[in-house]
Amino acid sequence: MTTMLEARSLRKTFTLHNQNGVVLNVLDHVDLDLAAGEMVILKGPSGAGKSTLLRILYGNYKPVAGAVRLRHDGEMVDIVGARTSRVLDIRRRTLSFVSQFLRVIPRVSTLDIVKDPMLARGVGDAEATERAAAMLTRLNLPKQMWGLAPATFSGGEQQRVNIARSFVDPTPVLLLDEPTASLDPINRDIVVELIEATRKAGSAMVGIFHDDAVSSRIATRVMQLSSRKAA
Amino acid sequence: MIEQAPLLRVQNVTRLYGGRVGCRDTSFNLWPGEVLGVVGESGSGKTTLLRSLAGFEPPDEGTIHFRRGEKDHDIYALDEANRRAMMRTEWGMVHQNPRDGLRLDVSAGGNIGESLMARGDRHYGKMRARVTDWLQRVEIDSSRIDDSPKSFSGGMQQRLQIARVLVAEPRLVFMDEPTGGLDVSVQARLLDLLRVLVRDLHLAAIIVTHDLAVARLLTDRLIVMKDGHIIEEGLTDQILDDPHHAYTQLLTSAVLSA
Repeated sequence: MTTMLEARSLRKTFTLHNQNGVVLNVLDHVDLDLAAGEMVILKGPSGAGKSTLLRILYGNYKPVAGAVRLRHDGEMVDIVGARTSRVLDIRRRTLSFVSQFLRVIPRVSTLDIVKDPMLARGVGDAEATERAAAMLTRLNLPKQMWGLAPATFSGGEQQRVNIARSFVDPTPVLLLDEPTASLDPINRDIVVELIEATRKAGSAMVGIFHDDAVSSRIATRVMQLSSRKAA
Repeated sequence: MIEQAPLLRVQNVTRLYGGRVGCRDTSFNLWPGEVLGVVGESGSGKTTLLRSLAGFEPPDEGTIHFRRGEKDHDIYALDEANRRAMMRTEWGMVHQNPRDGLRLDVSAGGNIGESLMARGDRHYGKMRARVTDWLQRVEIDSSRIDDSPKSFSGGMQQRLQIARVLVAEPRLVFMDEPTGGLDVSVQARLLDLLRVLVRDLHLAAIIVTHDLAVARLLTDRLIVMKDGHIIEEGLTDQILDDPHHAYTQLLTSAVLSA
């Protein structure tokens, strides 16, 4: 199996300078290996650092120590020390983060939001439009909504726009932070099937899912994080 | 990915006013196509730094190199005429107040056309077509081409200023609080426009702002300044979501959402 991601000896503390310099130890000596076609589910009590780990893997949080290496263009690249432009290139083509929240940009239509990552990877406009339309249809977002900016959509609709954007042309590594939370059962099942199909097609995934029925259905492996240690 | 040389190299730049306000010992690189944000409170040295980088004010100490072709040019070692030529053809400045960047006694179309003439265009018909195209790109009705910018709203003036700068196809654009002084709905339109233009033209840009939402939307990398110093630097979302320095933590927690 091809290793897609390896995290080594990750340590993360947060120092809250404006709250009496309190230091929170969130992760200590965390290792993770992820191969193509795997879905590793992070488990642990609230505050165990599941989301923190996911954000470190994305380069969004900076670990105090440790390395996160990703397979990008055939070689393993450490995202922690990489230059900004390199990180952005990795995120454009190799790594994506899917949360339950869509970051709404004023005036940008639903169709354009879903097309955007494909256009950034050099997919032609006609093909991107066709694939985006197919994905929005699959996720039950009616055609009348495609030309609108999602600012006025419901939470569940925005969430499905976000999922469409992330799964229409999935990257080799996907980090999922509760993408199915608060979806109705029908749409949740559609999204779960989409995640399964994407994994079987070869993407490697790390996910947080609070719904046990969902996680036991899609997990290939579970990683347990213990609760936070005192400083 | 091909490793490129930096477009701009800023080394140990210090520029002070009355020995107090300004920027101190500032160093960073900017790569082609990269959008860099500079954030920090008023008086932290942001605008001073920008004005030095853009060729308006020589630093007291340090050097600024701009890459043109295969060569790095120390912009303040160039003579005045060469520096002016470089400022005209290689980069552009979008001022916070559009009246500082526009010529108010010249028509809207003339303001854009002047930039084309400054870089050597002479064909009237072609220039007129480009001017019309740029008015549309910044969402100004082309029927306003012969109107004075004095008759424009603040938001329209700002969009006209952006067209005047970008029509010259600079490789680097400096922006000083481009959405400051505009009301929120006008800001959103301008921000979306800037986002699309920066991406489509593959521009490098340095944007000074105190608005963290603007920084998140438009920039790839962020520099945080305090008392003239760079105190934190990195990927924009990392700085905003996981700020390490006490001052950056204060800055990000002081806004309702960014």
